[in-house]
Amino acid sequence: MDFQERLKTLTEGAKYDVACTSSGVNRKGKRGMIGSADACGICHSFTADGRCISLLKTLINNYCEYDCQYCVNRRSSDIPRASMQPHEVADLTMQFYRRNYIEGLFLSSAVIKNPDYTMEMLIKTLSLLRGEYRFNGYIHVKAIPGSDEKLIQKLGQLADRMSINIELPSERSLTHLAPDKSKPAIITPMNYVKNGIIQNKEEMKKFKNTVDFVPAGQSTQLIVGATPEADSRIVHLAQGLYKNYKLRRVFYSAYIPVGNDTLLPAAPIPTFDTGTGLIHKEYGPLLLREHRLYQADFLLRFYGFTAGEMFKNEEENLSLHIDPKCHWALRNLEKFPVEVNTADYMTLLRVPGIGQISAERIVKARRVSKLNFDNLKKMGIVLKRARYFITCNGKMAEKINFQPESIELRLTDNNAVGPYSQMTLSDVASA
Amino acid sequence: MSQAHDTKSTSVQTERKLVKREVDILFDGTFEGFLCVVYALYYEGIVPLSIQAIDEYQPSITQEEQFIITDNDRAHKVEKAIVKKISHDIARRVAYAFLADTTDRYVNILNYIILGFKVGHMVDSHMQHDFVLRVHKFAREVGREAHKLTGFCRFAETAQGIYYCAITPVHHVLSILAEHFSDRMIDQSWIIHDKRHNKAVVYNGYDYTFVEVSPDSEPPVLAGNEEFIQNLWVTYFNTLAIEARKNPKLHRQMLPIRYRGNMVEFSKHI
Ligand code: SF4
Repeated sequence: MDFQERLKTLTEGAKYDVACTSSGVNRKGKRGMIGSADACGICHSFTADGRCISLLKTLINNYCEYDCQYCVNRRSSDIPRASMQPHEVADLTMQFYRRNYIEGLFLSSAVIKNPDYTMEMLIKTLSLLRGEYRFNGYIHVKAIPGSDEKLIQKLGQLADRMSINIELPSERSLTHLAPDKSKPAIITPMNYVKNGIIQNKEEMKKFKNTVDFVPAGQSTQLIVGATPEADSRIVHLAQGLYKNYKLRRVFYSAYIPVGNDTLLPAAPIPTFDTGTGLIHKEYGPLLLREHRLYQADFLLRFYGFTAGEMFKNEEENLSLHIDPKCHWALRNLEKFPVEVNTADYMTLLRVPGIGQISAERIVKARRVSKLNFDNLKKMGIVLKRARYFITCNGKMAEKINFQPESIELRLTDNNAVGPYSQMTLSDVASA
Repeated sequence: MSQAHDTKSTSVQTERKLVKREVDILFDGTFEGFLCVVYALYYEGIVPLSIQAIDEYQPSITQEEQFIITDNDRAHKVEKAIVKKISHDIARRVAYAFLADTTDRYVNILNYIILGFKVGHMVDSHMQHDFVLRVHKFAREVGREAHKLTGFCRFAETAQGIYYCAITPVHHVLSILAEHFSDRMIDQSWIIHDKRHNKAVVYNGYDYTFVEVSPDSEPPVLAGNEEFIQNLWVTYFNTLAIEARKNPKLHRQMLPIRYRGNMVEFSKHI
């Protein structure tokens, strides 16, 4: 296989990992090196589905010893196999970086021989990049479940972000579909990374020349729709990961059947209608569900919501018709309407349709004069949804029947299969 | 007419009389020049008919014009006054808004600064004034375009080993890009060519300079392996797409068509 073919094959194997943010760390350029990092993240291109491309996302090797049923690289999968040498990966990264195609590298690998051996290969590649090639840009590396603590430590000093993917949202599904991986094999290295970060921060305070350890933090990915867990479980899991493992990001990936599955539901083959711009109806809802999970995740991280507030019980799913914040608001109508001229910032944030930028603008502008609906409009605040939940000087925008059903009717997305994205805003805000 | 003011006086005279004058104010088009315009108009209390850069000058009916000479010291003073009396953030907003490619930016920024001198950093709360919203909009658009281009710029290696990039931005974002890339590609020689405004920034590995470029200049000759690398990138880009997730509407929103002409993954088919 020539190099171009190998790159293609390995990218095929890496592309279902949806994490492609380059955010979380600011690093100025340094003479003698090449590259810098921007905490806000920079998108260099977008795939046809509107996902940001910022990193060269590839594998060292796609011939896996393991047999995870949801994964295209699994042992039993019937696909072309390829590998790249560490210097080939490093060289390609530099060529792409110098042309500003990318913000950095996202490197992972299928399990070759065993987890520790694979980790050594990853370390070798990153050492080459940081050392010989003097690369100072962003690196995200996916660590291998079940690997040794020392190797995690070493790898973490070369990377900006490290992820260990949980993929399946429950232990039961994991045992069923990823027989070579155990829960401890995933959780233990996550713990190493968490502790490594804490320790590193301590050392930074004491010693001047401490080497950074994953300064952009750790992340993980959960596959949605391959196994029966409800959204409630998934969001609770995410909340636990943010709280207990100090994760920077949890990514959600709608399950796309890859290859000839036996254990997994054969999902409909999705088709795309260029005429209407819509995804085949049977696949659309899953992408919409993924989008709703990102919205719920956003509420967790930036809006002060808890998973418990969003769900009544463990088995509940997010509504596909309205976004999670609207859903919450309709269930808690007694907390509304909110008076725009007096409500505090956190309360404003809970109003459907009012985001961080709008809430900030309101708080600023009302210092000078009382606000009415016209002022809000002029300030660029979108009132499409908010109008049902706020008052300006005690008045609502229009007389409505203040009942959940009648408001819900007005809020329902009539193009529910609309643009579902990975919420790039959240990427920007995750700095 | 105006009276001579003590230039050291920093106290704002709230009772200051503004005089409307039928005059077109002209300046050299640089940011420093504009700050000198602010200086002259603020201290003389003149509200002009228009403010225009000399190379875009369109005389209005009155035909009375006044050219303000750029004086770097004076410009610096005004800049410092904005930071001190208003805020650092607002100085930055003014600098960004100035780069917007619209004809009404100068007057709106002037009003914004004058109000800022009066009310300090609270100026942003005065959204009842149209010019406050306009300046916000300009700065936002410039910032957004510059940010997008920090990602969308595509360099190609020339036969001389210089990395060349062509862009066609709406606004004058070259100076922002120069700052970004001189930090990131610190050890590399590069050129960013703004084909729409016929300007370029040239970086030699140490410093950058801005130059005018003739609209009919030839594109540079590329290095031998450039084609190979470009093909790798296009292959990579095409492989990343997940058929099941295609969504052209969102795609256009994230990556507007007007940027694509300069991006090899869209302009090249292999
Ligand atoms: S270990 Fe990783 S690469 Fe291997 S089959 Fe499982 S998920 Fe795929």
